[in-house]
Amino acid sequence: MPIPRIDDFQDMFENSPCGYITLQASGRIERVNRTLLGWTGHTADEMIGKRFSDFVNMAGRIYYETHIAPLLRMQGFFDEFAIEMVTAGGEPVQMICNALEGRDAAGNPLFIRLALLRATDRRRYEQELLAAREAAKTSLASERETAELREQFIAVLGHDLRNPLASISAGARVLGRDAKTEKEHQVVAMLQTTVMRMAGLIDNILDFARGRLGGGITLDRDSRRPLEPVLHQVIDELRLSSPGRQIEADYAIDSPVDCDRSRIGQLVSNLVGNALSHGSSNEPVRVRAETANGIFNFSVANGGDPIPPAALERLFEPFFRGEVRASRQGLGLGLHIASQIAKAHDGVLTVTSTPEETKFAFVMPLR
Amino acid sequence: MGVIERNNVNVSGSGVRAMMFAHGFGCDQNMWRFVEPAFEAEFRTVLFDHVGAGGSDLKAYDRVKYSTLAGYADDVVEIGHEVDLRDAVFVGHSVSCMIGALAAQKAPGMFGKLVMVGPSARYIDDGDYVGGFSEKQIEELLQFLESNHMGWSTQMAPAIMGNPNRPELGTELTNSFCRTDPEIAKAFARVTFKSDNREDLAKIDIPTLVLQCSEDIIASKAVGEFVHRAIPDSEMIILEATGHCPNLSAPDEVIAAMRSFV
Repeated sequence: MPIPRIDDFQDMFENSPCGYITLQASGRIERVNRTLLGWTGHTADEMIGKRFSDFVNMAGRIYYETHIAPLLRMQGFFDEFAIEMVTAGGEPVQMICNALEGRDAAGNPLFIRLALLRATDRRRYEQELLAAREAAKTSLASERETAELREQFIAVLGHDLRNPLASISAGARVLGRDAKTEKEHQVVAMLQTTVMRMAGLIDNILDFARGRLGGGITLDRDSRRPLEPVLHQVIDELRLSSPGRQIEADYAIDSPVDCDRSRIGQLVSNLVGNALSHGSSNEPVRVRAETANGIFNFSVANGGDPIPPAALERLFEPFFRGEVRASRQGLGLGLHIASQIAKAHDGVLTVTSTPEETKFAFVMPLR
Repeated sequence: MGVIERNNVNVSGSGVRAMMFAHGFGCDQNMWRFVEPAFEAEFRTVLFDHVGAGGSDLKAYDRVKYSTLAGYADDVVEIGHEVDLRDAVFVGHSVSCMIGALAAQKAPGMFGKLVMVGPSARYIDDGDYVGGFSEKQIEELLQFLESNHMGWSTQMAPAIMGNPNRPELGTELTNSFCRTDPEIAKAFARVTFKSDNREDLAKIDIPTLVLQCSEDIIASKAVGEFVHRAIPDSEMIILEATGHCPNLSAPDEVIAAMRSFV
């Protein structure tokens, strides 16, 4: 082999580190450099006069005819397309190719030049990425399906639990009418409290499942009917169910609040219920509701150990239960649902916790 | 969003009769850029992009609707109603030849003549029928399409959608004539190359011109002859042009052949 010279353009063409093919305007091969012949094992005689697509695999042929040839005509060049040539021995060679069309003054095509780089490793890497993406997609789809089924199950379960609960409640009412001894009255009251707690849990479950299934929290807003009686009722119920605990309530609602009254009742019930179960039992739970400066402000504060900062961040996530005694555990949906209700009202629910007090504050625009 | 925006419909030219151009798998209405202007003096010309291609509304892409060529044919009929086509000439390239044949049956009177450039009624071999491809080769094509995304990236999608003619987007729009969401490209390739319209050809009851290239690996001469023989009132012209896109590589020859027919 002759020793190459730096200024030998013929050598630069023939033995370039990339393959060159020149096509006539008709698409027939005019010239191929030595590098490409070496990579593919074809002879110049075999290639000249044929079409480029005769030397690529079938997928590449279709792609060349439907994408590359038209684009060369329309925009005059095409960079970085992947194509698989086939060697004389029938083996595939992965290539990355750039192409340009030479044109005369009138814009008619004169020739096409292709520069090809062997890219076996690069293509293998890309194919592995594609395979990994495909696998991830499949597993994600199956995960989603499972999650959806689970949530549908929760929704159906929650719904079906309501009926037996209503029977228990009706039965307890009947028993309550005939209760004679102090003990009997206590048992009936306990039954009713439990029914109420369970009904609250079921509401939360259903709301959560609905939210996950795309329904979200729906509101039935009404600014004409007063909100305060709803708050009284919820807090009275909680007082009844927590004998021995003190709830100090302070109301200053002097403007109408455009809200879903039963949803706000649910939010209040969740927040006060939460304060009762997690706050110190020998300090009162302080509730305040007021309207001022175009906003409705509702807060619930309790004493006791502060919530650790790490837990504070995740408090509104579904199923978060923190480090609490097993007997106090709920599903961990109450605060999540409360925050969703706040959001649905264009409001926010925030929490601060210090050794002095833990306070949840809900703020929403009056309308 | 209306049909006009959905399919990026462009109407020009003047004339009593109309001529509608439909692009095939791969690129968009720009495939007709060297042919359509020649007919503007005598025809009202209608260009459009199939949903998923070019400047069409990608949000309108419906996996189920476009899983058959009939879904695309429904769009052609909708566009035809929108721009009031009657007795028009339908010019289809590649897979759009069959889309046009289906549309002509769905809306009698809308089209009076069909021009088929590089048609194939079925791409995959079937017994004695030679379509040119095996099932396996088409599967390989579908996989291969993932390797060539033509610079598609999701961030660019909004720029490409609906703005194909904005030159200020300049280099960003490189390859845009043939670029689309890889998932859609794959689905369109699947419906194209797995289609079988052999039974539909005999039902074509309007004069049809088959333009066949000399060397076309996608729609071979045998395939073109099959189409020609199966359509009752058809004629076939073998072009000197080679490849699958004579509308780009040999527009003058295509225009001359069409003129003699319409």
